[in-house]
Amino acid sequence: MNVPFRPIISSLLRNRAGAMLVAVQVAITLAVLVNAVYIVKHRVDLVSRPTGIDDENIFVVGVTGFTKQFNYTAMLDEDIRWLASVPGVIAVTAANSVPVSGSGSSDIVKPTPDAKGGHQSLVNYYQLNEQGADALGLRILAGRWFKREEVQTPLPTLYSPYTGPIVVIKRYADRLFPNGDALGKVIYGSSNQPLTIVGIADNMLGYRPTGEEPAEVMYMPLLPSGPSTRYLVRAKPGMRDQLMRKVEAEMAARNDMRAVSYVRTLSLYKARNHMKDRNMAIYLVVVTALLLAITSLGIFALATFNVTSRTKQVGTRRAVGARRRDVVAHFLVENWIITTAGVLAGCVLALAAGHLLALEYELPRVDLYYIIGGVLVMWLIGVAAAWHPSRRASRISPALATRTV
Amino acid sequence: MLEMHNISKIFRADLIETHALRDFSLTVNAGEFVAVTGPSGSGKTTFLNVAGLLESFDTGKYLLDGSDVSDLNDDQRSRLRNEKIGFIFQGFNLIPDLDIYDNVDVPLRYRRMSAKERNERITSALDLVGLSSRTKHMPSQLSGGQQQRAAIARALAGDPKFLLADEPTGNLDSLMARQVLDLLEQINEMGTTIIMVTHDIELARRAQRNVHVVDGQISDFKSYETRAPESFATTGSR
Amino acid sequence: MIGYYFRLAFASFRRTPGLGILMILAVGIGIGVCVVTLTFHHAMSGNPIWWKSDQLYAVTLDNWDPMEPADPSRPSLPPDQVTYRDAEFIYHSDVPKHAAIMYRSFGIVSGDGVSGPLKPAPATTRITTGTFFPMFDVPFEYGKGWNDKADFAPEPVMVISHELNRKLFGGINSVGRTIRWNDTPFRIVGVLAEWEPQPKFYDMNSGDFDSAEDLYIPWKWGEVLEVGSDGSSSCWKIDEDFSTLAAFARSECVWIQAWVELPNFIARARMQSVLDNYTGNEHEHGRFLRPRNNRLTDVDQWLKDQKVVPTDNRVLFGLSFVFLAVCLINTVGLLLAKFLNAAPISGLRRALGASRRELFRQHMVEVSTIAGAGALLGLGIGALGLAGVRALYMMTATTPRPSGIASIAHMDISSYLIAVTLAVVATVVCGLYPAWRVGRLQPASYLKNQ
Repeated sequence: MNVPFRPIISSLLRNRAGAMLVAVQVAITLAVLVNAVYIVKHRVDLVSRPTGIDDENIFVVGVTGFTKQFNYTAMLDEDIRWLASVPGVIAVTAANSVPVSGSGSSDIVKPTPDAKGGHQSLVNYYQLNEQGADALGLRILAGRWFKREEVQTPLPTLYSPYTGPIVVIKRYADRLFPNGDALGKVIYGSSNQPLTIVGIADNMLGYRPTGEEPAEVMYMPLLPSGPSTRYLVRAKPGMRDQLMRKVEAEMAARNDMRAVSYVRTLSLYKARNHMKDRNMAIYLVVVTALLLAITSLGIFALATFNVTSRTKQVGTRRAVGARRRDVVAHFLVENWIITTAGVLAGCVLALAAGHLLALEYELPRVDLYYIIGGVLVMWLIGVAAAWHPSRRASRISPALATRTV
Repeated sequence: MLEMHNISKIFRADLIETHALRDFSLTVNAGEFVAVTGPSGSGKTTFLNVAGLLESFDTGKYLLDGSDVSDLNDDQRSRLRNEKIGFIFQGFNLIPDLDIYDNVDVPLRYRRMSAKERNERITSALDLVGLSSRTKHMPSQLSGGQQQRAAIARALAGDPKFLLADEPTGNLDSLMARQVLDLLEQINEMGTTIIMVTHDIELARRAQRNVHVVDGQISDFKSYETRAPESFATTGSR
Repeated sequence: MIGYYFRLAFASFRRTPGLGILMILAVGIGIGVCVVTLTFHHAMSGNPIWWKSDQLYAVTLDNWDPMEPADPSRPSLPPDQVTYRDAEFIYHSDVPKHAAIMYRSFGIVSGDGVSGPLKPAPATTRITTGTFFPMFDVPFEYGKGWNDKADFAPEPVMVISHELNRKLFGGINSVGRTIRWNDTPFRIVGVLAEWEPQPKFYDMNSGDFDSAEDLYIPWKWGEVLEVGSDGSSSCWKIDEDFSTLAAFARSECVWIQAWVELPNFIARARMQSVLDNYTGNEHEHGRFLRPRNNRLTDVDQWLKDQKVVPTDNRVLFGLSFVFLAVCLINTVGLLLAKFLNAAPISGLRRALGASRRELFRQHMVEVSTIAGAGALLGLGIGALGLAGVRALYMMTATTPRPSGIASIAHMDISSYLIAVTLAVVATVVCGLYPAWRVGRLQPASYLKNQ
């Protein structure tokens, strides 16, 4: 194929404004594309991290006692017994907060009573009963879960210190005791109350699953404080929705001193907590796709203009022996030069935008692969958009050259 | 009427089609029908563009209808063009998406005339060229000769003092060419000065005076007295 | 002449309808995207009580850990709530025109046994002094709020929201009815009109765009009925007694929102010195051990301090302008192509006497027509986009009524108009260059051999 670069460049220079406008579009689009893909990838990673629990099969029942005769611990006992007896339920626990929901409680925990600074850690804690591990679908890797007789009655207030056995997740156990001898060790809560590690559970996400660093998590055998609380119910696979309907219909009538505030899937909590990230990702994808569409339309329009305004010139080229594919190549190369000029500027722009975003989000900067990928995409889009006009140019009749009108 | 004294025009290098005028001087009197001939690239189109105020010139003096046009701004030049000059082109240059009526309307629009007056002028111009039955036709629906007549109507509608015609019959067959030329003569007889650029010697013969341009300069004066002396006398007396 | 230019613009559109549609599409999509993002950004950064926001001040006092600031990432700010006892001190000061202290709680409403059985239902509750209503200009549909006396020797009165009134009573005037809140009978004295301040500036601890509460009860009921906060409470001092709500109320934990209305700068200065004297005195008794940092923050500054507009939104805000820019650059390119394609006709018009100015005007009319059509399309796309965004948020909503963030994704006429005007102006400005270029063309070079 014979592609004369010099004439292409000289004709490019003649319609400088049009070519420059398209190049600017390509540059901006590349910068947006690269950074949008980077952010979307990051969000998707966050959203799709495994929670570490059987979130698909768990549902949450919220209850609140409200009468003066109301007996909170009796209600817990009765409700848990009834829920566990419903066919299809694997396990039930009361809980102080809903896992992966975005809200929860944490305490400062220390390896020694007087540990300071970096040795302290903020630990997300769950108050669960003896069925807790099963209710969450949590795997115990070492040691044991709690026995029924270990489960303590509710603390007087939300802020009263708990003391007794705990189970911690592996990530935290390994951080506290890198030698792997966490079992049986005692650590201390913020009021210096001792906590004895009796088991190590598989990792799970903290209550804020969108956080950059997964939080440390520990579990205590304890009934949460009332008068409102929530039950986590784990259903056999496929039975969750059916069980929810049954609970919704029957549970309220079993005790008229408390109200059933809601029956919701754990997936809803998770989705709600992921909503911002998911919506951001969707928004970015839509806007970036529109941007690509607009830019390819721009490339298409410029190529079309170049072809129609040079119909006669193309006819002349054909008349003097240019083959169809030479004409196609001519226009594709012309277009490629424009796109590439835009792509080069776009790389700089993408890095600059990436730098700004890195400051906003405290993310590592966009890495090179994204830029290389973006460049390839823009090249591809450039060729695709110019393809049709170039083909049309190649069908211009050589006879046009001899016509005056 | 039109006086050019020592006009010269130098083009930038990358415009290949047109050539410069060198020390170009020409006077055309009111009511004349002048043919400008010359080989390709001799500068005759440049002359026409300068005469029609489409292009500026570098040095020299140009008096149009008695007034110096050298120092006019764009608005003033446009106004002169609109009111005093009518153009006729080889390619007719009708606007393809306007019908014949609207095409003739174009120069009048730039003159801020009332709708009534425009209508009168358009109707009488189209009457004159024999197209009054085709006002709603699009240019593509007309033959070449009809298109050129429509273009002439457009040039006449503004009642110009000058008609500048650039190869007006170049795209027409001989029958149609004759009709168009007859029309131009008729217009000339009614008092409009016509300057026609052509390379066709036969065509040029029908003008009262021929000017031959070579290399941007007038080479010599030839006057073909081919027309009836009385008509010449008539125009001359005006 | 303008009419003539419009006719020419339409003729030009008919000549190359494809190009015309492309341009209108580009402008329309650009405007649509801008409308969606601007509406959001505007709603999020909006000040829901702008008419008196310079008279309303959030009170914050730095009672935090002498070793560490409340928020290590912003060490200059005190904690964003106050302790129960400091709140009551602020309330009893006679300097402000109004002072309101409050916290968010939660309860179950049920029937009084007289007005028929009412299925026990959860209701978000604001435990507050009655000053809340006049201070924040809360609109009433029926009845009114309660006076000072009802707060401290608490009377069993409550104000319910428009929405709760609709749910419980079908929207009728329920003033005078009695319902139970956590099994205690309360008489309804007021029903609010629809009121949904977004962002919920007076308490953003349960989310910046949380809904206003379902019902309001007088201040001391919290302590009497032992109802704690359902919002956030933060504590720093270890070994405090949290065994009862009364004890918790005496602790250094912060969980109360305190607001004051100070009509002028004299009142503001006096209030500042009242606070400084107070913490100075308390310091003598071993409290307020950090450097003195008592703040009166007006609503505008408060919204900024609380970082109401999330980073994502600022990024999207920027992105929408970049997007619009690309759409406009695209349109300029297309206009240029279109106008240059029609250059022979423009050349002809020049020959027939059109001045540069007239050609410029003609093309600007064409540009404006395209901008106008694009704006119309953009309005449609914007409405669609907002509906889409609302649908995204509703997917995870727990009530069928759009609340919080979903409710702000409605057509906010003012930001809509701003976005559209902006985009139209930008389009027209972008059209200046192509329209100017047309006038600069050498007419002569287009007249020979079309």
